[in-house]
Amino acid sequence: MANFNINAKKEVTYDAIVIGSGISGGWAAKELCEKGLKTLVLERGPIVEHVVDYPTMNLDPWDMELRGGLTPEEKEKHYKNIRSGWVGKDTEHFWADDKANPYTEKKPFLWLRGHQMGGKSLLWGKQTYRWSDLDFEANAKDGYGVDWPIRYKDIEPWYTYVEKFAGISGEALGLPQLPDSHFLPPMELNCVEKHVKARIEEQFAGRNMTIGRVAHLTQPHNGRGQCQNRNRCSRGCPYGAYFSSNAVTLPPANATGNLTIRPYSIVQSLIYDEAKGKASGVRIIDSETNEAIEYSAKIIFVNASTLSTTQILMNSKSNRFENGLGNDSGELGHNLMDHTYRVGAMGKVDGFDDKYYKGRRPNGIYIPRYVNIDEKSKSDKFLRGFGYQGGAYRGGNPANIEAFGADYKNSILKPGGWEMFITGFAECLPYHDNKISLNSDVLDKWGQPTLTIDAEFKANEKALNKQIQEDAVEMLTKAGVKDVLGFDNEHPPGYGVHEMGTARMGHDPKTSVLNGFNQVHAAKNVFVTDGACMTSSSCVNPSLTYMALTARAANHAVSELKKLNI
Amino acid sequence: MDRRKALQKTGLFAGATILMPSMLSLFESCKTETRLDWKPLYFTDVEAKTISKLVDIILPRTDTPGALDVKSDIFIDKVIAKTYDKEGQDSLRAAIAAFNENCKENYGDIFINLNTEDSIKVLKEAEKISGKFGSGVWGAAVGPQESIGFYRSMKSMAIWAFMTSEEIGKNVLSYDPIPGKYVPCKPLSEVGNKWSLG
Repeated sequence: MANFNINAKKEVTYDAIVIGSGISGGWAAKELCEKGLKTLVLERGPIVEHVVDYPTMNLDPWDMELRGGLTPEEKEKHYKNIRSGWVGKDTEHFWADDKANPYTEKKPFLWLRGHQMGGKSLLWGKQTYRWSDLDFEANAKDGYGVDWPIRYKDIEPWYTYVEKFAGISGEALGLPQLPDSHFLPPMELNCVEKHVKARIEEQFAGRNMTIGRVAHLTQPHNGRGQCQNRNRCSRGCPYGAYFSSNAVTLPPANATGNLTIRPYSIVQSLIYDEAKGKASGVRIIDSETNEAIEYSAKIIFVNASTLSTTQILMNSKSNRFENGLGNDSGELGHNLMDHTYRVGAMGKVDGFDDKYYKGRRPNGIYIPRYVNIDEKSKSDKFLRGFGYQGGAYRGGNPANIEAFGADYKNSILKPGGWEMFITGFAECLPYHDNKISLNSDVLDKWGQPTLTIDAEFKANEKALNKQIQEDAVEMLTKAGVKDVLGFDNEHPPGYGVHEMGTARMGHDPKTSVLNGFNQVHAAKNVFVTDGACMTSSSCVNPSLTYMALTARAANHAVSELKKLNI
Repeated sequence: MDRRKALQKTGLFAGATILMPSMLSLFESCKTETRLDWKPLYFTDVEAKTISKLVDIILPRTDTPGALDVKSDIFIDKVIAKTYDKEGQDSLRAAIAAFNENCKENYGDIFINLNTEDSIKVLKEAEKISGKFGSGVWGAAVGPQESIGFYRSMKSMAIWAFMTSEEIGKNVLSYDPIPGKYVPCKPLSEVGNKWSLG
């Protein structure tokens, strides 16, 4: 697909503006364009055209001068990102520049950003799970945070809608706590994973191990190719086999003729029209020319990614909203959540040395939540729950073998022993004091205030992590895994890259920022449908829920627009 | 955030192979191979020769190419020149000096001047004292991590340089850039050497 209309200079008035082109922004653009709205997508970074702008997609290690290594200058540019362990030469260009875009960690927090068309939809893990009423009712039941203004039945049709378009592969299990999607055929477990699965399910009633449910195509779908098992996803997929805005939502948006995408556009703030009681447009700074421009529209979708979205709202000050647009409740910037990360167990698996696999499956196993799902599974140690990802593979570190020389060299040309790991993702409660705030003392490259992030996991998350590790060790041990090692890296929030909250949905304008259709309570033509809108964090990966909420909100927006309600 | 990508960087490994006496003859050639026929970007002449000799003993030519055949030493020099910061470079330089100092103390000369027998003794001792890498999950270390000495880290770098060279990656290991279908369980005998791409 070529020829994005990037000529936003001539026209400054649109039906809709979408801020950001990642997972949720891409969906907003597609839905609004297809419903006939002239839509301007404002993208902070450059255009990344599907396939054309994936410079590393086919590189083997030896094709890169330093085989993936980064220069000191590149490391400096990513001095925060690099803590994630994900940044190499193959994807360096898709991670935001930490020097140009500073943030302040009042407590340790890793804020990973993707400043380009497609955002982090190019880089995400593709794990896609429906949330259930266990999640949507959680706050109401235990009193943390505020109640979600929606229930599973409200979002279910929209899960179906986005799944059928995006293409989600997985195995149906019929579990109430992890509802099935409309699945393409599942990817397959390898022999060790099957072995461990059987032994865990046999010995632990109510626990399941399944292949990850993922936004990877296991068969051709809507003109896109199926996964070729290269596991080079984050470089951009030449087959369009995984869900990214670039491959999936922006091409059909573009095909309508209604899309204009403006790159290098840093949204500084929303413009609030006091007379009309709604937002009238946005102010941007061209990141290349430093030119300030205003665009106007009837509706505005803010999908800049969780923290950036809230940053924009906080920076949108007016007489009506002295503390940021939509912040009548004082909750804007608060209740930041993420999933806990890298806590679990791993070990060696004997008996499969003559078995191997072919292909680099970009997926692993998933163990759905099994605690606090009913009376029987209730824990007295913590609220909410956790699930696990993981996998088995032939690995080992040949450098550790106490040998060298000819036989040694020949031996390390063979695959190492089998290993299996499982690592948990625990739900984080919404705490008012986990928050972000504008920092005018530290300005970004364009002179804009930056964010100070002040968040931490607390006692409940620590108790969940303790259980994650204990259960992981127990499950692997009972499954016959050898030399089981439990681990907890005690990562601060951000490492899970599932940052949620800071502009939560709720019934009551006094305690929430958004209503049940993701509209800012006090400016109903402003919609927030990225992670900022989340009222609780569940323990399952959130991206599919962003997609569904976005499609639902876009549908509502157009309907309200037609009724002249906004 | 391709969380699976860096899986194999570190991990557990059980089987250690024993250096057989019959291999010693293979190292005889080492003694004379001290000529430096390339110009290092970072290393001094002696440092470069030290690294060349090390990687050659660790990963010698057999019926398949060795570390020197695929220019692992030259690549290591480049990696240190281009990806290490000053502090990292200085500390590596100090580590090589200490390694040679140790050779001098115990065997009377720096590493490149030791005969094969003594060189192997040096490496065997280094195997014992230079720590082991801990486990890793999704590109980061997990669990207890020992401190890694010069020898282990250079050995690790030699293996990386060797395995990611085009010759080994394409022609010695099993190379499959576009696997297509994932086969979850396949007899190892049908694959042979390990897959080169992780």
